[in-house]
Order: sequence, then structure tokens, then C-alpha cells
Amino acid sequence: MIGRAPFWTTALVGIVALIWIVPILGIVVTSIRPPSEVTLGWWRLDQVSFTLSAWQRVWEAYPLANAFWVTAQLAGMATIATMLLTPAAAYAFHFLKFPFRRLLLIIIINAFVLPQQVVIIPLFQLWRELGLIDNFLSVLIPYVGMSFAWSIFLVKNFLEDFPRELIEAAKIDGCGALSTFRHVVLPNTLSPVFAVGILQFLWTWNALLLPMLYLRSNVPLPVLLTRVSGTYDVNWDLRSVAAIVTTIVPLVIFLVFQRQFASGSQTRTGAKE
Amino acid sequence: MARPTAPVAVGRGPSLISQAGDGRDIALAARGWRLKDTPAAWLLIAPVIVLFTISVLYPLIETIRLSFFNIVGLAPPSFVGPANYINLFADPAFRNTLVTTLIFTLATTTISVGLGWTLAMLCAFAPQQTLPFRVMIFAAFGISEAVSGYMWIGILRPDTGGLLNTVIGLFSPGFAHPWLGDTNTALWAIIVAACWSGVGLPLMLCFAAVQSIPKSVLEAAYMDGARPFSIMRHIMVPLSLPGVRVAIFINLLGALRAFDIIYVLTGGGPVRSTETVGYFMYRESMTQFKLGYGAAATVVLLVAVLVISIPAIIQRTAGAR
Repeated sequence: MIGRAPFWTTALVGIVALIWIVPILGIVVTSIRPPSEVTLGWWRLDQVSFTLSAWQRVWEAYPLANAFWVTAQLAGMATIATMLLTPAAAYAFHFLKFPFRRLLLIIIINAFVLPQQVVIIPLFQLWRELGLIDNFLSVLIPYVGMSFAWSIFLVKNFLEDFPRELIEAAKIDGCGALSTFRHVVLPNTLSPVFAVGILQFLWTWNALLLPMLYLRSNVPLPVLLTRVSGTYDVNWDLRSVAAIVTTIVPLVIFLVFQRQFASGSQTRTGAKE
Repeated sequence: MARPTAPVAVGRGPSLISQAGDGRDIALAARGWRLKDTPAAWLLIAPVIVLFTISVLYPLIETIRLSFFNIVGLAPPSFVGPANYINLFADPAFRNTLVTTLIFTLATTTISVGLGWTLAMLCAFAPQQTLPFRVMIFAAFGISEAVSGYMWIGILRPDTGGLLNTVIGLFSPGFAHPWLGDTNTALWAIIVAACWSGVGLPLMLCFAAVQSIPKSVLEAAYMDGARPFSIMRHIMVPLSLPGVRVAIFINLLGALRAFDIIYVLTGGGPVRSTETVGYFMYRESMTQFKLGYGAAATVVLLVAVLVISIPAIIQRTAGAR
């Protein structure tokens, strides 16, 4: 705090924040009011009643439960794979000596600038040839493969401050490279690996483009939502429930872990000062 | 074993020159102590290399290669040299896309970072009291773009039941404008929706940058009787600039790769007026099945991304030890 905080600065930020949650408030209110009352807007107070009818009907109207399960599986598997493979590679890049180490590292950590659009065409052709269209692997492989560009950078950055004495002590005690990783480095790297897991989970849960292109029958929530909300039908209540179900899990995780998210996004895009 | 004389956390010095110098020292020192166990190293990185090659390196090279071929649907590809690029720049739809991309990228970055930075400086006067407000604004960033697109469809509805039309209707009754259906307003409607989601991250990054300004500087200004506005203008703005550059870069990258919000709100329409290069590439390759043509558009996008990323790439490469 600088001296005595002027009231108007806080008030101004507060007004902006209130405006900012209006769209969120909108779908929550729409989901719990009967559609007949809100055809002219969810804020209308001509007649006010609340109902959970949309929350009950939506599961039959759309394959929402299945999409939720698909999303949970995809995000879960991608997150676990990234969390398992990242620390091993970051350890090897930081503490081991092998040919092309620095070249490989430079290529991987600079790939964060590449847009997703780059993978669309080649992987579409590859999956078609291999018969992997509509297979979970068609999205899991790029989710995990692309995550290394930021996840390895994040974990290796953490290892910069890892005390070298511990590695040397382990070596003197007879640990090989693998057991040093297993017993010395991995147990002390859990916090950045956990942060990587949270980021990967949020991004894969919210992903729209790749699953939309490569999955057909079992689609995750964002794809299902675009399918049901693309048309000008009148089921605003049902679609609002679907929208809330789509975003509630990542939103809660995001709010709980927002600190890691801000710093992680910064690292992901590489411009760590 | 040779012990490094430099501290471990070097390479974060103020200038690139000193960074490179420290990097060399560390690299020299590091050569002595890195464990030499090549089989173990390959074992640990093999899965990463395989997955990274399939999902980043192969697509990157293949996209560039395909951009020189004419591929339509399942017919065998034929080599056409730079014809795709020549057609691309002769295509009025693509040229229009370039303008759209430029407007979208500059507008979302300017608005998101400008607003985020201003809010961050206002928040810095009372960090504790404004914490809930920052979380409320940042929350929009945690919402899937498919969902935020759906919310904005409700706000921008063309009839009088849309929130925006209703608010304007307070001043001119019966107002109804099809925001997403009019070529003059559709792109700006998308820009506003993108900024709603996007302002949270620059807010947090700029807030961290403003918070890192030494308290003594701010207190000295306050003791000298500086008003909040002049503290912002003369101290916070110049001293948080390095952090703000990061926010600008992140927003530029994000805007260039934008897809979800455009797909959900307009699908590129009306009459292709809201297609950015990243969307054009999807439309040509995945809905028109002109894969070579789409690949050429992707390469154009890639060049733009690489150009704005040069400083970040130099920094990361110098820091890679």
C-alpha cells in the first residue's frame, strides 16, 4: 500500500470487476429460471421464479454425461502422461551429458511459439492413414507432445536452483544416473511438476480445435457445446446448463490455483524475465 | 571435480551480453560435473523425443513441404512450386484475411494490455482490498473459449433480448442491431469478447510488474505529495514497462493463433469478414479440403509468429544450458 490508498482507485476497479462477471451471472441465472420468463433477457423481473428443471432435463436432451466422462478421461490421461515424462526429460537435460543435448533442448523449448494450426493438416493426414481418426490417441499424442515445449522449460528452470551437492553426494553414495533421478531429484521436484499438471489439465479440458477435427463420435464438452449452441434454437436454459457443466471443473481448479497459472503461463510463452 | 566459481543462478543479468557471457562460463563449468551416462539419458528422454517429433517436428516440416503441393481431397498430390503462395496473395479473400488479422491482433493486444495495465496500476494502490476484484476479472480467463463464446452470443443477440441491445435500448427504445451479422460490427464484437477473456492475464502480469517496483520509490513520491495519477504516470508506467513487454508479447502470440472464439461467435462470417489467417487456414484445409493451399496459409501465419518471437527465441536460446 502506498500511503493512504485513494478510494476512487478501488471503486473503479470494483466497477470494472462487476461488469466483468455479468456474462457469467447471465448463464447462471438463465440456467435456473424458466425459459418463458427470460425470452426478453435473464435480468427481466416481470415475473420471478426459479427452477432446476433445465438441470434435470439437460442430461436427456444432450449427451452431456458422456461428454463429461470423455473430457475427464482425455484431460486426465494427457495430464498424467505430461507429469510423468516431463521431470525425467528435464532431469536428463539438466544433469546428464549426452550427444546433441543442447541442440535438442533449444529446439524443444523454442517450440512454444508454434501455433496449433501447424499440426492440423499433417496430423489429419497421418491419423487418416493410420486409422486413428476418432481414436483418443489422435488428440492425446499432440496434447502431450506439444506440452513439452513449455513443461520441460518450466521444470528445468526449477532445477537451475537445485543444489548440485545433492547430486554429487548421491554419486559418491553409489547412485547411478537413474537412481539419482528416482531418489534425489524427483522427490524434490514435485511442486513444479504439480504446477505443470494443473496447467496441462486446464488447457486440455478447454481444448476445442483438435478434438473437433479428429474426434467424431465421442466428443469432449467444448465440442459438444459448440454443436448445440451453433444453431438459433430457443433452449437457452438447457444450453446454459451445458455451458456451466463444461466450464465448472476447470474454473474451480483455476480459481484455487490461479497463482501458479499466472506464473506458468508466463513461462509457457517463454518470456521469463 | 572442477567446481563452478560463478553462482548457480547466473544468466539473469540485466543485459543480453552479460547473459551470454555467464552462459559460457556456466557451460564450461558444467561440462565437468554433468553425469556421463548416455544410455540412461536416452532412456529418460526417448518418450519425449518420440512424442515431440510426431506432434511438433513432423507437422512443422510436413506443413512447409505440403505448401508446395496441390492437394485437393484424396487425389494424389502434385508438385506446384510456389503456386500456392502466388494464388494466396492474389486471392482477395486471403488479402482481406491479412487485414482482419492485423486489426484483430493489434486491437485485442492494445485493449487487453492497455486495460490490464491500467487496472493493475489502480490495484497497486490497495492490493489487499482489490484482490477479490482481480480474481473476478481473472476468472474470465479460466473459462473455456467455447463457453465464453456462448455467453457472448447471448449478450450480442440480434433481437431486443440481447443485453447489449437492451442497454442501448434504454437510450433509444426498440434498438436492435445484429452485432454478429453485420460486416461492420462482427469483427469488433469478436474483439470485445476476446478482450473480456484476455484481460485477466495482462492484469496479473502487469500487477506483478508494478508490485516489483521498490516500495521506497513509491513512498518517496507519496511523501513529496504526488497525486495518484502522477504516481502512475511518472513512476509506475516507466518502471513496470519491462513486465508489460512480456504481456504484450504473450497477447500478440495468442491473438495470432486465435481460433476458438471466432469459430464459436461467427464461424468466420458474415461473408468471411471475421476470418484471421489462423481461421482461413482451417477453413481452406478442413472444410474445403484444399490441403496444400491451407498449408501455405499456415506458413504465412508461422512467419508472422516467428518474426514477433525473435527476441524471445534469442533470450531462450542464450539461456539454454
